[in-house]
Amino acid sequence: MTRRVLGILLLAVAGVSLAILSEAPYAATPPNRALIRLSWRAYSEQVQACRRLTPEELERLPIHMRQEEVCERTILPYRLLVSIDGTAVTNILVRSGGAREDRPLYVFHELPVAPGPHRLTIRFEREGEGETRDAAEPIPEREARETPPRLALDEVVVLGDRAVIVVTYDEEQRRLHVLAGREAGS
Amino acid sequence: MAQDPAATLKRLLWRTLARADAVCNRLYGWRYNPLYHSGALVVALFLVLLVTGIYLLFFYRLGAPYDSVAHLTAQPSLGRWIRGLHRYASDAAVIAVALHALRLFAQGRSWGPRALAWVTGVLLFGAVLVCGWTGFVMVWDVQAQVLAQEGARLLDVVPIFSEPISRAFVGERPMPGAFFFLNLFAHIALPIGLGLIVWLHVSRVARPKLLPPRGLLWGSSIALLALSIVWPVTMGPPADLFRLPGPAPYDVFYAFWLPLTRALPVGAAWAAIVAVTLLLLLVPLWTRPRAAHRPLPSVVDEQLCSGCEQCFLDCPYDAITMTPRPAATAAAGRSALVARVDPALCVSCGICAGSCAPMGVGPPGRTGRDQLGAARAFAAARTLASSDVVVIACDRGAAALAHAGASSGVHVWPVSCAGNLHTSVIELFLRAGTGGVLVASCPPRDCWNREGPQWLEQRVYHDREAELQERVDRRRVRIVAAAAAEAEVLLTAIARFRQDIAALAAVPGERDVTDLIRLCEAEEAMR
Repeated sequence: MTRRVLGILLLAVAGVSLAILSEAPYAATPPNRALIRLSWRAYSEQVQACRRLTPEELERLPIHMRQEEVCERTILPYRLLVSIDGTAVTNILVRSGGAREDRPLYVFHELPVAPGPHRLTIRFEREGEGETRDAAEPIPEREARETPPRLALDEVVVLGDRAVIVVTYDEEQRRLHVLAGREAGS
Repeated sequence: MAQDPAATLKRLLWRTLARADAVCNRLYGWRYNPLYHSGALVVALFLVLLVTGIYLLFFYRLGAPYDSVAHLTAQPSLGRWIRGLHRYASDAAVIAVALHALRLFAQGRSWGPRALAWVTGVLLFGAVLVCGWTGFVMVWDVQAQVLAQEGARLLDVVPIFSEPISRAFVGERPMPGAFFFLNLFAHIALPIGLGLIVWLHVSRVARPKLLPPRGLLWGSSIALLALSIVWPVTMGPPADLFRLPGPAPYDVFYAFWLPLTRALPVGAAWAAIVAVTLLLLLVPLWTRPRAAHRPLPSVVDEQLCSGCEQCFLDCPYDAITMTPRPAATAAAGRSALVARVDPALCVSCGICAGSCAPMGVGPPGRTGRDQLGAARAFAAARTLASSDVVVIACDRGAAALAHAGASSGVHVWPVSCAGNLHTSVIELFLRAGTGGVLVASCPPRDCWNREGPQWLEQRVYHDREAELQERVDRRRVRIVAAAAAEAEVLLTAIARFRQDIAALAAVPGERDVTDLIRLCEAEEAMR
C-alpha cells in the first residue's frame, strides 16, 4: 500500500516538474531596450564589363567556345551609413544577394537603442557609378524599377520600452520611411 | 595515472541510473519501470502525438494561428485537454530520448556495431527538436516569435538563401498564411520522415521492441492526460513584431537553447551547435575501448556445430547466419548447414554461448566449454555443502552486491551476462555438492545484451535449447532479477532460497570429479 502511494507520489512530482518546465518564465529581452530595424529590398544598377580576349587566351579555349569578346555582368553595391544622435553606428557595403550576387540587394540590420527620442540619420548610396563605361544601355522601364542611387532619411523617432520601429523602403514613393506598430497594422 | 574522462563520466552516470532504477523497480516493479522502456516510450508518445495532432489539426487556422489555438485553449474540456496532452507528450518524449541515450552511453552500448543505432538516434533527436520547433511556432505567441526570429537569424548565415529569412519577421507586412502553411507542412512531414530513421535505428537488432508493455503504454498516456486536466497548458501573449519579446512562458525542453544562442554572435552560435552535434555524433569513436580491451566477436567451431540453428535464432543482433557447411568439415552424419558469425555485427554479447548445446560457439574464453572449465575450477577451490548455494550473478548487475552480501555458505560466481550462462554449469555446481544454484540476472528489459534473462529463463524452465537437463531438480535452481543497486532484493532472495534449500531433503553431492566433467574430458580426448 505504502509502495503504491509512493509510486503515485513520485509520478505526481514528475508530472508537476514536467508542467513547470513546460512553461518556465523567461524574458528574451531585458527591460529598457528598444530596437531600430532596417529592412528593405533594393534593385541596383546592373553593369556589364566587356573585354576582348588575347590570342593566347583564345588558343587555350576549345574551338567551339572561342568568342572574341567576353562580358561579365555585375550589380553595383550600395553603402549603408547610419548614425544615431550624431554618432555613426553603421558603415557597411551591401552587395547583391545570391551565390553569384545576381539577386536584389537585401538590407536587414538591427540597432539596439535605449527607449526615448533619437535622431536617426540614414544614407543608402550606390557605389561605383561613373566607372561603368562599358555598362549595358539601361532599359527605361528597368531604370524606373531600380532603386534610386541615393536614399536618405533624417528623422527624430521616439521609442517606448521594448518598442521596435522598422525603417523600410517604399517602392511606390521611392523613399525610406519609418513604420511603427500601429501603422503596420500588426 | 590519469583517469579516462569518458570512463569516469560513464561510471558516474551508471551509478546514478542504477540508483534511479532501484527506486523505480521498488515502486513500479521492473516490468513497468519507465526507465527501462525509455526508447519504446518515445514511440508510444509519438503515437499519442499523432492521435492528438490529428484532432488539433481540425481546429488550426492558417489565417489566424494564435486565435485558433487560443480558442482551443479556452475550451473548458476536450480541446484544452487534447492540446495539453499533445504538449506534455512532446515534452515527455524529449525526456525519454535523453534517458535512453544516457543509459546506452553509460552502459557502453554506443560503439562498434551499435554505432549506427547511436548516430541515427542523434539524428532522430535533432529531428524531434526541429519538429517541436515547428510546433511551437504554429502557436504564434511570444515564444513562437522568439523561436522563429532566432531560427531565422541562424539560418541567414547559411549561404543558400538569397534573401534573409529574418526579413519575413520584421512586421513590414502581416505574416503570410503561406509561412504558417509551410510550417504546418514541415510539422507533419518531418514525423513521417522520422519513420525511415527509426527503421535504420533498429535495423541491427533482432526483434526490436518498439512499444512498452501495455500497462505502461496506457499508464503513461493516462498520467499525461490527467496532468493536462489538472495543470492545463497556457499561452503566452500574441506575437508582436513591433515589440521586443518580454517575459513569457517558455518550454524548456524545446527552447533550452534560446538563452545560449541569443547571447552569442551568430557565428559563435553555429560553432557551438556544430561542436555539440559533432561531439554527440562522434560518441561511438570516443567511447570505443582501445583495441586491446575490445571484446572479441564470437567464433564457431565447425567441428562441433550441429546446424541446429539455435544460436541463429537467439542472437539479439542478427549477427549469425546459417550457411552451407564447407567441404573441409563435411562428413557423413554432419549437418548440411553451419553457423557463421559476422564480426561486423557481433557485439560479443555471448548469448550464443548459452544457446549451443554442443558448446561450439561463443566469444573466445566465454564458450560453454570455457564456462564449464572455470566452474570446475571454482568448485574444486572450495567445499560445497548441501546447505550451500552458489549465486551465479551478472557482472553488470548484482554481482558486486552478491559479493558484498556473501556470507558463509553463499558462493558467488560472476558471469559476464546471465544470458551467456550454459545450463550445464548449473548442473555441474549441483553435482559438485551445492544445495542450490541461484542465478541473479539483470531485469529482463535492462539486459545489456537485450534478451539474456529471457532466453535463460526459457532454457531453465521451458526446454529451450540448450535446456537444463530434465534430471536436474528444479527446486534447487532459482532465477532472480536484481538490478545493479538492488541489494535488498538480491539478499532477500538468497536468504529465502537458502531456507527453501534447507527444507529439502539433503541430496548427497559429488566432491570429486563429476560425471559431466568426465564426459567433457572424454569428448575432448577423442577430438
